[in-house]
Amino acid sequence: MEISNIWYFLSALTLLSALMVIMSKNPIHSVLYLVFTFFCISAHYVLLNAQFLMAVNIIVYAGAIMVLFLFVIMMFDLKKNIPESKSSLTKLAGSVVAGTLLVILIAIVRKNNIPAPLGDKFNSQTGMVENLGQVLYGEFLLPFELVSILFFVAMVGAVLLGKREAGERNF
Amino acid sequence: MTAIIALSLFGISNLFLGFWFPRKTIQLVTLLFLVVSMALTVSDWNHELLWFGNMFRTTNTSINFSLIIQLAAFFVVAFSKAFGQDDEHTHPAEYYAIMLFSVVGAILMVSFDHMIVLFVGLEILSVAMYVLTGSDKRNLRSNEAAIKYFLMGSFTTGFLLFGITLVYGATRSFYISNIGTILTTTAPESMPSFLFIGVLLIIVGLLFKVSAAPFHFWTPDVYEGAPTIFTMFMSTIVKTASFAALFQLVSGIFGSLYTVWVLPVYFISMLTLVVGNISAVYQQSVKRMLAFSSISHAGYLILTVSSKQISTTSSILYYSLSYTLATVVAFAVLILVSEYQSARVEKPENFSSFEGLAKNNPGLALCFSISMLSLAGIPLTAGFWGKFFIFSDTFSRNIIYPVILAILMSAVGIYYYFKGIIAVYLKAGEIEKIEVPTLFKMALWACTLGTIILGIYPSLVKSVF
Repeated sequence: MEISNIWYFLSALTLLSALMVIMSKNPIHSVLYLVFTFFCISAHYVLLNAQFLMAVNIIVYAGAIMVLFLFVIMMFDLKKNIPESKSSLTKLAGSVVAGTLLVILIAIVRKNNIPAPLGDKFNSQTGMVENLGQVLYGEFLLPFELVSILFFVAMVGAVLLGKREAGERNF
Repeated sequence: MTAIIALSLFGISNLFLGFWFPRKTIQLVTLLFLVVSMALTVSDWNHELLWFGNMFRTTNTSINFSLIIQLAAFFVVAFSKAFGQDDEHTHPAEYYAIMLFSVVGAILMVSFDHMIVLFVGLEILSVAMYVLTGSDKRNLRSNEAAIKYFLMGSFTTGFLLFGITLVYGATRSFYISNIGTILTTTAPESMPSFLFIGVLLIIVGLLFKVSAAPFHFWTPDVYEGAPTIFTMFMSTIVKTASFAALFQLVSGIFGSLYTVWVLPVYFISMLTLVVGNISAVYQQSVKRMLAFSSISHAGYLILTVSSKQISTTSSILYYSLSYTLATVVAFAVLILVSEYQSARVEKPENFSSFEGLAKNNPGLALCFSISMLSLAGIPLTAGFWGKFFIFSDTFSRNIIYPVILAILMSAVGIYYYFKGIIAVYLKAGEIEKIEVPTLFKMALWACTLGTIILGIYPSLVKSVF
C-alpha cells in the first residue's frame, strides 16, 4: 500500500473518532473515542518519522491524562440530566462562525499547491531520540527550560487550590 | 535577560521562605526581589542583543515594557494587604511565588524573538492567572471566574497555536526576524494564502488576552469574580504584556501584510471602544466598571497598533504606564472600601459603598479621584497625555474616523468615571476612618504622585521611552 493511502485512511479515522468524541451522548464513550483519537495521532507521528513523540503521546495522553479523565467522569453523577444551557441563537451563531472558518480553510487547501514531499533529501534520523535531545538541549534550550517553569506554576497552583485553608474568607 | 533567570530563582526561594517567615517579611522580601530584577533589567539598557540561540531579544523598547510590568507587579505586591485573615491560616508565599513566575512569562512576551518563546510565555502567564483567579476558594463567583477564564483562555490558545503553525508552514521559520525578512522580501501574492489566515489567527489569539471587543465576553465576569488584588494584576500586567506582543508582531513582522489585517484591526478597535465605554455606563459595581474601562482602554491602544513610527512606541509605553498607575490606585482603594463595607452592606463593590468616603478619609478620596481623572483623561494627569499622544499619533497617519470615534467615546468615559468621584465627594454616607497599613499608604501615594508628575511633566518619561 502507498504511504499516502495510509495517511488518508488514518486521517479519516482521526476525524471520525474526534467527531464521535463530541457527538456521543455517553461521556464514557466520549473518553474512549478520545483515547482512540490520541492513538490515531500517534500513528501520524510514526508516519512523520517521530517515533519518540509517538511513544510519549501514548504514555502521557492516552495513558495518564485519559485515566484522570475517566476518574473525574466516574466521580460525576451522570444520571442527572443537565438541561441545555445555550439558546438556539447562540448555537446558530456558533455554527455560522465555525462553518465559515471551515469553508475558508477548505478553500485555501484547494487553492494552494501542496508542496511535494522532500523524498530522498529527507533525513530519516530527524525524529530519533538522540537528535531530538540534541535539539532540545541545543537550539531549543530556552523554551525547554521555560516549560519547566510552566509546569512548576501548574504544580504550585494545584497545591494552592487543593490545600485546605481554615477561616471563612481567604480574601 | 538575567531578570528572567533571577525571577525564576526568586520565585522558587519564595516558596522556601514561606516555611520560616511570617507574611509581612515575605511581602517585603518579594518587593526586594522585584527591585533587584528591575535593576537587572535596566543593566541591559542600550545592549541590543539576542540571547539563548537568538530566541530572546533585548531592545530598549522591550526593557521599557519589562520595567512597566515589573513596576506594576511591585505595586500589586505592595497592595497585597492580606491573603487571609491572620498569620496562622494563610500561605502567602505561594501567591507571591506564582506572581513572580507570571512576571517571567510577561517579560518573555515582551522580548521574544521566537514564536515558541511567545507561546510558552503566554502560557506561563495564563496558567498563573487561572490559578490566582480561582484562589478565593470558598467564593462561588471566584470558582466560576476561574473555570470560565481557563476554558476560554485555553480555547484561544488553540487559535494562537494554529496561527503560529500556519505562519510556520508558509515561511518555514519560527524566528521573528527570519519571518520578517521573508515576508518583506517576497510578494504577498506568491505566498501561500494560509499565511494570511495564520496571521489573523495569531492576532485573534492575542486580542483575546487584551480583551478586545468580540472576544471580551469573559472579561467582566472574570475581573469581577477574581479577588480584587488579582484583578489589579490582570488588568495591568496581562494587558501590557499581551499588547506589547501584539504590537511587536503586527507592526513589526506582519507590517508588510498591512492590507490583510488593517481593516479587521480597525473594526475591532472601534467596536472595542463602543462596547467598552457604553457598557461601562450601565454598571453599578465599581469593579465591573473598571473591567469595562479596561476593555475600552484596550480599544485606544489597538488604534496605534498599525504604526511603525518610533514615536508610536513611546506613546504606547507612556499610555501603558499612565494606565497602570491609575488602575492600580483605583483597585487599591476599592480593596480598602469593599473590605470595610463587606460586613455592612450586601454588595460592597458598588458605587453606593463609596458614598461619603471623603468625609473621614480625605486621603483615600483624593487618590481615588485622581486615578479616576487620569483614567478619564482630564488634563494635568498622566491619562490626558497618554490619550493625547495616541490620538495625535494616529491622526498624523491620516486615520481620521477611528480617532473621532475614540474622542467621542472618551467623552462618554468621563461620565462613568465621574460617577465615582461624585459618590466619593457629593453623596452623603457614613464611612468611618479606614485603617491603612504604612506600606499600602506609601504605595498609594507613590502611584498618585506618579500620575500627577507624569501629567505635569510628560517629557520626563517620554524622553526615556
